[in-house]
Amino acid sequence: MSEYFRIGPEIVHETVDGEVIAIDLDNGSYYSLAGSGPLVWELLAGGASEAELRDALAARFGAIEAIAGDVSVLLGQLRESGLIVEAEREAGNAALMAKAGDGEAYETPRFERYTDMKDYFLLDPIHEVDSAGGWPRPAA
Amino acid sequence: MPASPAAARAGADLADTYFGQLGECFERAARAAGGGSLDLEMAGLPLRLRFAGAGLRKELLAPFEHLATPLAAAEPALAISLFDTASSGVEPPAPLWDPIEAPPGTNPVVRLRSERACVLAAAGSRALTAAAPGAGAAVFHLPDATAIPASERAAPIREALQLLMAARGRLMTHAGAIGRGGRGVLLVGRGGSGKSTLALSCALAGLEIVADDYVLLEPDSLTAHAMQSTAKLTEDSAERLGVPAAAIDSAGFEPTLEGPAKALVDLRALAPGALKQQLGLRAIVAPMLSLRQPAHIAGGRRLDDVAPPLIRRISAAEGLRAVAPSTIVQSGFGGAESLTALAGLVRRVPSYALDLSPDPAANAAAVDRLVAGLG
Repeated sequence: MSEYFRIGPEIVHETVDGEVIAIDLDNGSYYSLAGSGPLVWELLAGGASEAELRDALAARFGAIEAIAGDVSVLLGQLRESGLIVEAEREAGNAALMAKAGDGEAYETPRFERYTDMKDYFLLDPIHEVDSAGGWPRPAA
Repeated sequence: MPASPAAARAGADLADTYFGQLGECFERAARAAGGGSLDLEMAGLPLRLRFAGAGLRKELLAPFEHLATPLAAAEPALAISLFDTASSGVEPPAPLWDPIEAPPGTNPVVRLRSERACVLAAAGSRALTAAAPGAGAAVFHLPDATAIPASERAAPIREALQLLMAARGRLMTHAGAIGRGGRGVLLVGRGGSGKSTLALSCALAGLEIVADDYVLLEPDSLTAHAMQSTAKLTEDSAERLGVPAAAIDSAGFEPTLEGPAKALVDLRALAPGALKQQLGLRAIVAPMLSLRQPAHIAGGRRLDDVAPPLIRRISAAEGLRAVAPSTIVQSGFGGAESLTALAGLVRRVPSYALDLSPDPAANAAAVDRLVAGLG
């Protein structure tokens, strides 16, 4: 099993006001990540392993006992929901991982899953015959 | 790097081929059964609807007449060609895909895409849409316009418009838009959240309305543009709002894929003068059915006994959660671009939740006050 992850291929996401909104285009579920969740998400998107996540959070917030457990729980939730998938080692964002804190307090990651869009998939599913990624492109 | 000719021929060309074939069928239909066209401006873009045969012209011309305008160019930037077999006598090309079954109450869609074209074949409604968004052209076909499915009348040529407009930076957004003096708010939330009832309450109270359910959003200018001139209402909402029978479509209340039966309401008949082509957006409002009180007024209860509507500021992230999932899930393509555009919107304008009162007029007044206060 790989130690490294990347954002799932069918996941689109944006961070607004310190909250990550992620939508799974494959099944219509959508998710909210708050607290220290967006930071973990950013580190994961940068190629961090679980151990690197723990180290990065400790560098940012200090040696807080809850961090290891929180990271483990959140990674489990993200993997189970398909938001992240295992990946090969990629060059991580070293600057982001090593960034020292500026005094902000550690917050437990908060993870919410919403499934109220699933009806649309059940009623109106799309069967792809052939696809070309990234289509259509807005006019320049 | 461009695909090699061999690679381009393999598979990806199915969409291009079918788009070309359906276009040829439309031209044959126009020669055989006559035609007609409607020139209009939608979301600031010149668009020509071309009809072959009388069937779809009868059904789908009226919902777009409010956008009619003479076009300066002989060939407008966008053109959608519409025909049905029953009134034109011309069959569409044979499918280039394996047919799929549509269980009752569902509408699965076969989709073919290439770099240039997209084909959507709905197995339930049997609607065919083929588009070349970059070229600004689309073709729409139904077997028989007299048996047009309720979903196609409620959101006419939605897929064709969505595809052509997305290629020009106009994002079809699952939201209503109402306001006053050319500025207003986007009403967001999934089906059943109360968007349509609130939008029509506002129109009846004298506010301007662009749409109850779908708008074309121009993210850079924060503008919501109108498409069709119809809205959808449940029988319960129509009764509560006192919608006159003359404004309700003669087909009456028909079952919908997503839930309760709804009827089409002609916004021009419902609130003459209220329907506008566009509004500048100043905020996002997410109506919510109140947990404080029943949504219905029990027999004998007076309206002044019920709690008033409450408007409260919510975070940009909550606003994004209210508008983005249903927009993106229903569109089926361009999810990342749509989410980025909607995130840009919630960063630029404030988001509010409106805890609805059972009194439609009170809800409309609350929105009116909010719009007035937004400047």
